Amino acid sequence: MFPNSLKLLWGALQKSRFDNAACNIRGASRQPRFRPPYWYVPKERVWTDDYLTKENKQFLEEVIKDKLEAQTALEKKALTSPILNDVKKNVTWTPQTKRVGLIARKIGNYPLWCKDGKKVSTTLLQVVDNHVIKYIPPEEYKPMIKSNVKWVEKQKYGCILVGAENIDPSVVTKDYCGIFDSVGMLPKRHLCRFVVSPESALPNGTPLYATHFRVGDCIDIRSKTMDRGFQGVMKRWGFKGMPASHGVTKTHRRPGNIGSGGEKARVWPGTKMPGHMGNRWRTLRGVKILRIDTKYNVIWTLGVAIPGETGAMCYLFDTVLPLKRNKTAPPFPTQPFMNDVPKEYFEDTIHPFDEPTISYYEEI
Amino acid sequence: MKMKRHVTCLMKKLTEKSHFSTLQITRFLSTQEAIERRSYLFTLEKKRQIENVGRIEKIEVQYKGIPKDCTLVMNKNISTPYDCARHLSEWHMESSVLALLDGNLHWDMHRPLTESCTLEFQNYKAAEPQQVNKAFWRTCSLMLGACATVAFKDTVPVHLHSFPLPDIRSGSFIYDVDLPTLSDWQPTHQEVLTLAAEYVKLCRKAVPLERLEVGEELALEMFVDNEHKSKQIPNIAKTNGKVILYRAGNHVDISRGPLISNTAQIGRLAVTAVHKLTGPTEDGVSQLYRFQGVALPKGVVLDHFAFSILMDRAKKLNPARSPFLKKEDPEINEQIENVAAQA
Repeated sequence: MFPNSLKLLWGALQKSRFDNAACNIRGASRQPRFRPPYWYVPKERVWTDDYLTKENKQFLEEVIKDKLEAQTALEKKALTSPILNDVKKNVTWTPQTKRVGLIARKIGNYPLWCKDGKKVSTTLLQVVDNHVIKYIPPEEYKPMIKSNVKWVEKQKYGCILVGAENIDPSVVTKDYCGIFDSVGMLPKRHLCRFVVSPESALPNGTPLYATHFRVGDCIDIRSKTMDRGFQGVMKRWGFKGMPASHGVTKTHRRPGNIGSGGEKARVWPGTKMPGHMGNRWRTLRGVKILRIDTKYNVIWTLGVAIPGETGAMCYLFDTVLPLKRNKTAPPFPTQPFMNDVPKEYFEDTIHPFDEPTISYYEEI
Repeated sequence: MKMKRHVTCLMKKLTEKSHFSTLQITRFLSTQEAIERRSYLFTLEKKRQIENVGRIEKIEVQYKGIPKDCTLVMNKNISTPYDCARHLSEWHMESSVLALLDGNLHWDMHRPLTESCTLEFQNYKAAEPQQVNKAFWRTCSLMLGACATVAFKDTVPVHLHSFPLPDIRSGSFIYDVDLPTLSDWQPTHQEVLTLAAEYVKLCRKAVPLERLEVGEELALEMFVDNEHKSKQIPNIAKTNGKVILYRAGNHVDISRGPLISNTAQIGRLAVTAVHKLTGPTEDGVSQLYRFQGVALPKGVVLDHFAFSILMDRAKKLNPARSPFLKKEDPEINEQIENVAAQA
């Protein structure tokens, strides 16, 4: 019925319809998966009661303490290594270099005030016990799932494994512990890969602090969104629904029409409908850092839209957005531990609380 | 004619001068054959001893424990505490490690009872577990010897030497093995894991540990291929002319004290290290390999972190007395033999 060219035009118009815009649901935003892949190894072991005497339990605690001390020694060795202390190395940062990120926990929302009195909402992200577990050079870095398949010779990015939050070794499985044992460290609760360029390699056991980022830098935060469960079409896709009264029968929050007639008379795949909402990995780009607390390693970021609920883990990276990227060299490869460091860093536009109150003067 | 006579003369001379008559036809047993022969002799001797009992006499065994105290009428010199357990329940059979006779004598589960007595079963959760623990350690050592004989290829001869008194505080059970063809062997991590795997395979066969008291000559006949054991047997048999043997599956070894009832009672285990012991040349034995391991009884659950601490301790060289000691000191020499007998 339709000539060929008109068919193509009609197909393009169909695609631009608002309720068909998210057709590509299998591409960028994957559906949540509930069955683990074949290479998955469980992290937490099956809990059993071990009838240990009090003295034996104390002994185990002492052993963990000794291992922690050995880990701190490894930390100190990493901090005194030439990679972190060689000044010449710092010069090799370029805007294209990828450096390691941090694993932080979202701990809450608080307001901050600008110097002109404007209130801004901020999110607090705490960096707890981050350590570099391993650096994997580009030749050996073989992730199971690759978005870009490249020749081995052309692969230019390596990987740094970072762990956050120490955990009791008896709670996790032996296989999981083995990842850390091979580098002489105690297991961590969270483990993350950061794809980095080979210049940003760090020795095993290097501690990472919140001062890895600077106040005023923009970061990308990747985290799992809040799980909202099965949600209707109004909350999930922002549909307008129908009026609450004026004779509307039995249709207030429903989606309405889900397709059209004609040749392609079917419900298109990816049609927006009610379903599971949330619990997806999302990256928020270009989030500005307003304040850093060095004592507790807390980063204050502008905005409250960071994915996840309070207590969720987030992965922080340097921004990829072209206008907000680092123009000056950040602490590269990372900020080493320093004794005399101010307790807080505030961004220039933010009002620090120990300064006199913001006052307004009447213009005469 | 003359040529023929010469040839026959030559042939006679050759046969006279030949060494055929002086050659002793000795057949060298391979390791596998020796093991099977030992086990076969053990079976024959056990059968002979049972038949030797003759007229069966009855004994009264007073059982004390769960579910209730009772009196069992058993056969003298034939019934074992394991048979008493069979009368009670499967749980008694599986969980009992040692039998306690008359409140003070520790008895193997598969050793025939000789007279009327009071019987109690001891498992790993007994109130006084010292003897049970020692029996467990001793069994683990014996099984380590069995594992060593089985794990190596047929081209590598394995001569078991001995194992010392069980000392749980040392952190590991040991067996000293002579590997004459391997002069400088450092086991790799994978080889140690393979040894542990062989050990586990043996234990999972769930064989009972049978006890037998044999005379000195039969013991020497059984251990004819092992020169170390052949030297130890006369000293062991000095006291009463008897040598105590234990068999687990196919493997037969000498040991003094009580062992546990069944190899299935060995739970979590690890062969941790093999250390080389060297000493003065003593009748051809210049070095021994000390196999070390650590194990937990079945039912004891321990997380991997705590067990790894035990394994790290067991990797260190066990300070138990080495078989290499000065021969000049007769006291120590006696102790060596006693150690071999008491282990």
